[in-house]
Amino acid sequence: MSESIRSQMEHDRRWLRDQEGKEQPDDLLRALDQIFLPPSAAQTAAAVERTAQAVAAETERALYYDVIEAPLVGKLNLALSSRGLYALTFGGSEAEFAARLQRAGERSVIRDPVRVRAAADQIRSYLAGLRETIDIPVDMSGMTEFQRQVLGAVRDVPRGRHITYGELAQRIGRPHAARAVGRALGSNPMPIVIPCHRVLAADGSLGGYSGHGGVRTKRALLQLEGAL
Amino acid sequence: MTPDAASTRPEFTQLVERYGGELFAYLFRQVSSAMDADDCLQDTFLRAFRAYDRTEEGSNYRAWLYKIATNVARTHYQRRKRQGDREQTLNPGDGSSEPGPAKLLEERLELERVRMAVKSLPDKQRAALILRKYQGLSYAEIGAVIACSADSARANVYQALRSLRIALKTEVVEAGNERIDSVANGA
Repeated sequence: MSESIRSQMEHDRRWLRDQEGKEQPDDLLRALDQIFLPPSAAQTAAAVERTAQAVAAETERALYYDVIEAPLVGKLNLALSSRGLYALTFGGSEAEFAARLQRAGERSVIRDPVRVRAAADQIRSYLAGLRETIDIPVDMSGMTEFQRQVLGAVRDVPRGRHITYGELAQRIGRPHAARAVGRALGSNPMPIVIPCHRVLAADGSLGGYSGHGGVRTKRALLQLEGAL
Repeated sequence: MTPDAASTRPEFTQLVERYGGELFAYLFRQVSSAMDADDCLQDTFLRAFRAYDRTEEGSNYRAWLYKIATNVARTHYQRRKRQGDREQTLNPGDGSSEPGPAKLLEERLELERVRMAVKSLPDKQRAALILRKYQGLSYAEIGAVIACSADSARANVYQALRSLRIALKTEVVEAGNERIDSVANGA
C-alpha cells in the first residue's frame, strides 16, 4: 500500500475518532462532496408534498382494527374504514382477522385502538345490555350487490323482532331466492351489528348461525334482545 | 380516559413533516436521481405507515425511518442492477474554481471513477458513509439503521473510505498499465 494512502487513512481514522468535521479536504473527500450534493429546496419541497399526499390517501383508504373483550362472545375483532364498520368477527385470532382484511383489498391494515374505540364501546355496551341500539355507520363497499340488498334488509329488522329466510327473500323482491339469501347471511362480514341472528327458519326454529358458537350464540343474542 | 400505546405516538403525518426533507436528501444521495428518490420517499413512508402500529412508544423514529429508507434504497439498487445499470447523469459541479475545458473533462472523469467506486461499495458501508458524513447521524443511530453496534458502524464508515482510496489508486495503476500494453501491442 502506498505511503500516501496510508497517511490519508490515518487522517480518516482521526476524523472518525473525533467525530468532528475537522477533515482536511483532499481529492477523494472533495469528489464525495460533489457526488453527494443535496437536492434543491424545490425538489425537496415537491417530494415531501407528494409523499404527504400519498400518506393522506393511504390513511383514508386504510382499515383500522382492534381486538376487544366483550360480554357474551368474548374476544371480538373489529375493523373500521373511513366510511364505517367494515368487519367484525369473534372467536377467531387477531392474526387471522388481520390477514383476511389484508387479502380482501390492497390497503393498509393497522391496529389502532383510538380510532376504533367509539365503535368498540357501543358494541360492548350493547352486548352488556346497557344500550338498546348500535348506532355505527356501516361500510358495505366490500360486498356484492346481492349481499348489500340482503344485509341491508336485515338491518331494518328491529331489536326484539325476527323474520324468516323466506320473508327476507320476499322483502328484497326475490321470493324464490331463499337459499341464496341464506348464503348471503352466512357471509355476513359484521354479525351482531348487521343482526343476521334475527333471521329464523320458517318453522320458527333458530336455523343456522355462522358466527362463532353457532346457534348457542344466536340464542343468547335473541335472549339479550328479549325476542325469546 | 386512560392513555394507551397508540395515543402516545406522534401523529404519523408529523413524521412526514419532521423527517421528510432529510430522508429525501438521503435517498437522493443513495439513488442519485430526484425522480427515483421521490418514488423511494413515498415507498419509505408508506411502509412506515403500515408498520407504525408495531413500533414501541418512545422509539427513535428518525433512526427507524432511516432504516426503512435504507432497505428501500437497497431494493432500488438491486432492481437497477438487474435492469443493467443505466447511465446516470453527473451532478453539476459548483464551478467555483472555473477550470478550463480540458481540466473540467479530467475532473469529470475522475468524479465518474469515484462514483463508480461508491456504487460498488457494500450497501452497509455506503449507507454508513452517507449517514455519518452528510446526514449527521450519530454512530449509535447508524448502528440502529444498519443493525450493528456503534463501534461497528464507525468501522463501516472507515472501511468505506479505505475501500474507495484503495480502489481509486488501483484503478489509476491499472489504467496506466493498459495504456502501456496497448502501446506495446502497437494499438
